[in-house]
Amino acid sequence: MNAIEIHQLTFAYQKKQPVLSIDQLTIQLHRFTILHGPSGSGKSTLLKIIANFLPRHGGQLSGQLRMPKSQRVAMMFQDPGMQFALDTPRHEIEFALENLQVTSTDIAPRVDAALTQVGISDLADRRFATLSGGEQQRAALAVIIAMDADILLLDEPFASLDSHNRQLLIASLVQLQQAGKTIIIADHDLSGYRGLNADIVSFKDKVVRLSHDQAQFLLDQAPAQSIVTDLLDTHESPAVSLHHFRLKRADQLLIDQPELEFMRNRVTLITGESGSGKSSLLLSLAGLLDYEGSVTLFKWPLNSFKPRELGRKVGLTFQRASDQFLNVTVAEELALSRRQGKQTYFNNDRLNKWLKRLGLSKMDDRVVYSLSGGQQKKLQVLLMLMMGQPLLLMDEPFSGLDAQSAADIAALIRACQEHSGITVIMVSHQFTNLSSLVDYQLALANHQLTYQGRKQS
Amino acid sequence: MNPSWQLFLVLIISLEISFTHRLIANLVLIVIAAIILILQRLHWRTYLRLLFLPAIPAAALAVTIGCFSPGHDWWFAAVLASRVYAYVFLGATVTVTTTPLKLARSLEQNAHLSAKYAYGVLAAVNLTPRTISAIKTIRASARMRGIELHFYSPTLYFKAILQALRWSDQLVLAMESHGFVENQSRTVAEPILVSVSDWLIVVGAIICLQVILIAFP
Repeated sequence: MNAIEIHQLTFAYQKKQPVLSIDQLTIQLHRFTILHGPSGSGKSTLLKIIANFLPRHGGQLSGQLRMPKSQRVAMMFQDPGMQFALDTPRHEIEFALENLQVTSTDIAPRVDAALTQVGISDLADRRFATLSGGEQQRAALAVIIAMDADILLLDEPFASLDSHNRQLLIASLVQLQQAGKTIIIADHDLSGYRGLNADIVSFKDKVVRLSHDQAQFLLDQAPAQSIVTDLLDTHESPAVSLHHFRLKRADQLLIDQPELEFMRNRVTLITGESGSGKSSLLLSLAGLLDYEGSVTLFKWPLNSFKPRELGRKVGLTFQRASDQFLNVTVAEELALSRRQGKQTYFNNDRLNKWLKRLGLSKMDDRVVYSLSGGQQKKLQVLLMLMMGQPLLLMDEPFSGLDAQSAADIAALIRACQEHSGITVIMVSHQFTNLSSLVDYQLALANHQLTYQGRKQS
Repeated sequence: MNPSWQLFLVLIISLEISFTHRLIANLVLIVIAAIILILQRLHWRTYLRLLFLPAIPAAALAVTIGCFSPGHDWWFAAVLASRVYAYVFLGATVTVTTTPLKLARSLEQNAHLSAKYAYGVLAAVNLTPRTISAIKTIRASARMRGIELHFYSPTLYFKAILQALRWSDQLVLAMESHGFVENQSRTVAEPILVSVSDWLIVVGAIICLQVILIAFP
């Protein structure tokens, strides 16, 4: 048998709420297959079923899934930080190879080869806690490469990677596929796969494999990442200014910025390589990370604010949506933001309208942690916008979102911003169709942030 | 020295001094452990911490026994206080001379502890920095929603426990996706050997301890 064959398959965590149902699907071995569809359509679930994690770890499965014999399966997860049991990339790979009963003398060379293949030899002995999301994701791929698995399952593996790293990783995946491996990737965004000879399984409406021509059409159509913004207008008043600002992570210099201003009531996008310190910058502005130099927030020094006051002035949407939640159900979370929130834009009508548009209505009793990655992200952004802090920092607000959801979230941010004038500083690797939202763009390279864009006409 | 044997020896010694009341033995153990620790050339802050943290329970014990026990037995007070220091210093000799990974590998290879326990505990240890930053994150995210969480707030613990449950599920998936199967045999990346000197040190140390315990008060 040369394929994974699926027939009449349904999977549900709770009775009568199937999260995935497939009539008939064949995934060819030795091919590059992309599971493509909106968030919450069951892509991750299918990967976990193929990896044999589900229904062993919960849920009910009916129907048939036939796997080819003697194929070793390895999986890479959506959340880069949570796939390691040990402390460093080297130890994690050693652990995996020990499990596969590789002889002691073969382990070290295989570890080195895998690390070199994904280009992280210099990170081999760094602790995972000090690596950026992108670096962790490359380490995770190194483990899979070292394990020499036959079927590689990757769940949104590039969500926190910039296009350069993404291209590097896709190139190494193509190499693996040409060497006879089967690559199955769940991704809502096809922009990085342009020109690739890949099969596409569409999860829109119903799960089907697209014909070769359809797949090629979709891949060629995928928009390239680009954004056009105006150059900074220095006459505006700043919300945040940095002065001799230096930021480090584990003795490694991230940012060294003599002067910088973020403009009031504007949306500023920060782009840059993964691991360059974009998220760390947001954390430091939220008072969660130490820095050198001085930061002025609405004309007052940042460190003069008491934690409680700072919480009223600065909001941060965390990279991981679940970090934002404090309650159990969707309704409880919404109630909390309603009670404490200052954003006047959200009256009952508008809130209900947005809940509907984001696909979050009628979910009141759902446990927030049981929502799909994309649904969690949408809820998280909504909850923080409802709080209405004058400065909102957003770390990857579009990660894990399909094009439609991302556009909806962008429209929501814009609506709040136009209604009550908030300052938004966001970090995103995904900026397709963001031109209408973003006012200014900052690029972080060589430890410096510089405004990009063209002169205002 | 082999980490498992070292741990085993320290446990035996600690057990013995728990059931005997000998001041000289405790002092000898403290001096030996202190020499080992000094030879490791640790950061001066570590030494300070080792000296002052046990001072609180040691002083509390000594004062209780010396001032408030019926016999005002200061000798017994000294025994108990020195015992606290002996525990802490002996324990420190294990933690500073080995890493958690090395200890886990040694326990798996030399003490034949099941890999599930060895790596399960290790994974939990590796989660410590993550736990600290998670608590920070929870408090920050609460503040941004207008709630102040104190260290006694139930929400903080609820979130932390929830987080831990999710981590444990994900950790299982992570270990399994990296080829771990319970009760299946594994090879070793770094063989950890038990040498003759390990035997000699353990046997020699235990004999010396008996002599000191019997000979001195």
